[in-house]
Amino acid sequence: MTVRPRRALCAAAGHSLMTSLLPSAKPTLRRAGRWPHAPAFALAGIVALVALLPLGFVAWVTIQTGWQTVQALVFRGRVGDLLVNTLLLEIATIPIAIALAVALAWLTERSDLPWGRFWAWLAVAPLAVPAFVHSYAWVTVAPGLHGLWAATLVSVLAYFPFLYLPVAAQLRRLDPAMEDVAASLGLSPFQVFLRVVLPQLRIAILGGALLVGLHLLAEYGLYVMIQFDTFTTAIVDQFQSSFQGAAANMLAGVLVVCCLALLGLDLLLRGGGRYARVGAGAARLAPRHRLGLATLPCLVLPVATATLALGIPLLTLGRWLAIGGAGIWQAGPIGDAIGQTVMFALGGAALTTVIAIPMAWLSVRSPGRLQRLLEACHYYVGALPGVVVALALVTVTVRVAHPLYQTVFTVLLAYALLFLPRALIGLRASIAQAPVELERAAMALGRPPLSAIWATTIRLAAPGAAASMAMVALGISNELTATLLLAPNGTRTLATEFWAATAEIDYTGAAPYAVMMVVASLPLVFMLHAQSKRAAGR
Amino acid sequence: MTELVLRGVGKRYGAVTALAGIDLTISGGARTAVIGQSGSGKTTLLRIIGGFEAPDAGRVTLDGEVLADGPAIVPAHRRGIGFVPQDGALFPHLTIAENIGFGIERGAADREARIVGLIDMVELDRRVLARRPHELSGGQQQRVALARALARRPRLMLLDEPFSALDTGLREAMRKAVATILSQAGITTILVTHDQAEALSFADQVAVLRNGELAQVGPPTQLYHHPRDPATAAFLGDAIILQAELGDGVASCALGRIAAHTGTRRGQAQIMLRPEQLRLTPAQGPGDARVTEVEFGGASCRVTVALPDATTFPVGVSSLDLPLIGAPVDIAVQGAAHVF
Amino acid sequence: MTVSRLPAPIRLAQTLAVIGTLIALPFAAVAQTAPADGEGIVVYNAQHVSLMQAWTQGFTRDTGIKVTVRKGSDMELGNQIVQEGAGSPADVFVTENSPAMALVDNAGLFAPIEPGTLAQVPENFRPANGHWVGVAARSTVFAYNTSLLKPDQLPKSLLDLAQPEWKGRWAASPAGADFQAIVSALLQLKGEAATAAWLKGMKENARFYRGNGVVLKAINAGEIPGGVIYHYYYVGDQANTGENSKNVALHYFRNGDPGAFVSISGAGVLKSSRHAKEAQAFVKWMTATPGQEILKTGNSYEYAVGNGAESNPRLEPLDKLGAPVVAPDKLNNKAVTDMMTAAGLM
Repeated sequence: MTVRPRRALCAAAGHSLMTSLLPSAKPTLRRAGRWPHAPAFALAGIVALVALLPLGFVAWVTIQTGWQTVQALVFRGRVGDLLVNTLLLEIATIPIAIALAVALAWLTERSDLPWGRFWAWLAVAPLAVPAFVHSYAWVTVAPGLHGLWAATLVSVLAYFPFLYLPVAAQLRRLDPAMEDVAASLGLSPFQVFLRVVLPQLRIAILGGALLVGLHLLAEYGLYVMIQFDTFTTAIVDQFQSSFQGAAANMLAGVLVVCCLALLGLDLLLRGGGRYARVGAGAARLAPRHRLGLATLPCLVLPVATATLALGIPLLTLGRWLAIGGAGIWQAGPIGDAIGQTVMFALGGAALTTVIAIPMAWLSVRSPGRLQRLLEACHYYVGALPGVVVALALVTVTVRVAHPLYQTVFTVLLAYALLFLPRALIGLRASIAQAPVELERAAMALGRPPLSAIWATTIRLAAPGAAASMAMVALGISNELTATLLLAPNGTRTLATEFWAATAEIDYTGAAPYAVMMVVASLPLVFMLHAQSKRAAGR
Repeated sequence: MTELVLRGVGKRYGAVTALAGIDLTISGGARTAVIGQSGSGKTTLLRIIGGFEAPDAGRVTLDGEVLADGPAIVPAHRRGIGFVPQDGALFPHLTIAENIGFGIERGAADREARIVGLIDMVELDRRVLARRPHELSGGQQQRVALARALARRPRLMLLDEPFSALDTGLREAMRKAVATILSQAGITTILVTHDQAEALSFADQVAVLRNGELAQVGPPTQLYHHPRDPATAAFLGDAIILQAELGDGVASCALGRIAAHTGTRRGQAQIMLRPEQLRLTPAQGPGDARVTEVEFGGASCRVTVALPDATTFPVGVSSLDLPLIGAPVDIAVQGAAHVF
Repeated sequence: MTVSRLPAPIRLAQTLAVIGTLIALPFAAVAQTAPADGEGIVVYNAQHVSLMQAWTQGFTRDTGIKVTVRKGSDMELGNQIVQEGAGSPADVFVTENSPAMALVDNAGLFAPIEPGTLAQVPENFRPANGHWVGVAARSTVFAYNTSLLKPDQLPKSLLDLAQPEWKGRWAASPAGADFQAIVSALLQLKGEAATAAWLKGMKENARFYRGNGVVLKAINAGEIPGGVIYHYYYVGDQANTGENSKNVALHYFRNGDPGAFVSISGAGVLKSSRHAKEAQAFVKWMTATPGQEILKTGNSYEYAVGNGAESNPRLEPLDKLGAPVVAPDKLNNKAVTDMMTAAGLM
């Protein structure tokens, strides 16, 4: 295909400059491709390939290590112990978190519990406290707290909001007419909850439980402080004993298998069922159940939860700050850490959002088998623990791509992979809000495709993109393991400084960093809360 | 046969009065339509009957059994009252068979047979039993919702605007089908709707609810032709309301002297005619009125005419003899006018 | 959703510029704290942050040379340097224990230390080949809860702790480089078979914690009667509030027992350093009086090792510890982690 400059064509034909601007000038013909979205698919494909890197890394080191060694490193008692630990932690934490989240969500959304809105906020607020700050608080209050039950307690407190948010949103969205019908069919209120409400919360519960389960696999700081060994802590132990040795890599491989197993289990349980409300029209606002005499006992739950999940961390932080006095607020180091954290967060969020755009756009505009495959690549990587992604990038950069080794770029890449789903979810939703007709109208008005998409869809999606960027930024500002493993010389973020201080049992010195992280995470709480309200259409 | 009696039922939401002293008797086997605009309190009334809400005051009894006495109520699940809500509200997590069987005890020996009987009763293919609600059309969903409610053999069936989400043609068919099914089952039924045509064609008895009060209760023809006030008249269909001077069985109005149900009333009054009582004929000369608007609507066409005193009203005409705009017409009145 | 009006247009170029700037931010931020080429040195530091901070501040004050510190643990950084090879950004490597120094030295990556620096440290605190030098030292101790163990119940040797009577009665932090250094000394002194057997006994007997400080706290709280740690955790806490050690006393094994092992914290200059002069100057400064003085006066409570340098008076004198003679450059951490991995301790 030849593209001739239009000006030359017109001059040759003897037209004036004026007429050359008119649309009557004959455009060159272009054959419509079989893949109209080929450029977007190409870009999304590149991102998907990069996202496959950690998985490829695991496969590569497994092959490189050799079966004998793999066998020796994977099939041994220690791995079994870790597997048991990890399994017990999941089995103990998730059901308790589900029960707590469902009970709180029902009380705040569907009962006339006093100050329901206030309790709803407090049920989300623990997310503002990074998980390792939760355990920092708990080991301060109860120094002897360690082992499975301690890990379960702190995990539930740190992560139950991930379940509370979707469950509360779903409870608000449920059509109360179904509960009326069930009652008219002779079910007592409790039976209605069990047979009609609970099954419809299934998807919300599964989604939240998956998120919690993945966090349990990925979290490092929490379990180090609470003295509970999981795969993630063991990988870091091995890393610290031998840098990126075969043992660490093999543990990472097992951890990846655990993550994939969790994703598969979720898919299996989710099944093909549809749980949305059938029919058109808006659901009536659900009536609130009267608690009556049960009000006071019911208040115990939110009060106790708030005390344990918020009171303890805030009181401990307050205590350490009071003990430390003005001396721990060293403006220099703290200012440095804040500045670097902010810049890493902004840069990482910008990169993540930009590379998520092609996939998000395709998911809305060109759904299909290839799109689903690419999207799966984008999503699974967010389920991987930071330590695995970091280990993969350390290994690849130190062995193959040395110029990228210990550079800011590699850290940003790790962040982008870890938080890709966060960016994608928000972007996709906001792109879906922009009708495709706008793009077509823009093209009809003479804009080339990219520019048309930019001027309409992307522009309209900008607020949503900004929101998901903020979510990514907040995730980055609390990220610890990938930052520890990948950080270039001279990197000091709030999380790493906090960690360095606690590693020396300097709890007072760590307090200012913890406070800054909590303050930085507060917007996350507001955004998640607002988002769940919006999802419920309120 | 079941008799539902409401006495002085009232309900307030904060400063808003939803229902004020409702008295209503619904006799056994009858189909009653409760009709009113949105916000008139009709859904609240239904929810109180169903037991989903407690009245502030008043009594509800079913066959003499007290269901509600002020805020003290028998809860919904102990009432044995069937309920088909708007959109059907099928349980999306259950199959059609599970939806229909939801109210049947799990151990019941004839459970399967009853489910099949019910699906036959609502005239759906048995193959849908294995499907999920979202795989069914709107009309099918409504039939399933009805079958589900029938499964408990309720004494009373509540229908909350069950046809409003359906297409026009389907709506009529469904209405007829539901009426037939419920008649055959001999179940007392209350239909709540804001669609007057639906109410008039479905029910043996229509109750008009306005601002939380019952404006009028009676058989459909009586309500249509003899509404208690102009507002009710207008709510049930197009109404031509004129000032008139009453005589003995006649009324003098802008249309001249016409027959009217004057009874013993004399003097100034408002009278009402339904558009279908008027016949238009082309006038030679100036005529009684002039055509100002012609609306072609296929089977039912409407023409707006203006009297010399500038009163305008609609008249239904055949599509075969539509007049032209501006044409003079003569008006003939059939039947008698209703006097308020 | 109906869109009545598009929001104000945003120019593609402008937006790309903003996004580019955002992505560039962290590069700039790190560049600010990391040295530009030719300016200052990079130290891979496994020593305590506060001690290194005191050293680098003093050094920069005295010489004007800037120091950028990368914090890690002994073996992590040691292995990292080996993997980075000639391309390592590190100029100086400072550890808490000797095995990581031996690892890097065996890979042939250390440049010889200047004779002047070596002369500041006695021979027993540096390897014979002079490729690195000791900067501080720490002693193995058995810390015990005074109400749970009486002096006559204490173990005579580290090896006793593998005996059945110590089951569930002592603690350690096996994931840390400190403990691994102790095991590497055991390996050098007693050989592979004895060490493997001892590790097996340890797996049976010991309770595992993360970090020596945590072990100390557990002993203090009476969770466990005793534990193998380094001396300065106890001394530091005593000097501070004593909150985590008020029920604890230290037992020194002495008599050349593997449990009396004194671990040398080393410093070395990388062969690949492009700032060799400054790097050598830093190692010299640490081993000279100002650097060693910080060990005496600061709150690290590690032993000073320089010729004539005095340690903090709170410490048990170094020459009374009865430490076994161990060749620091022959300590093999790789073998230890492999053996510990095999024993299921990692």
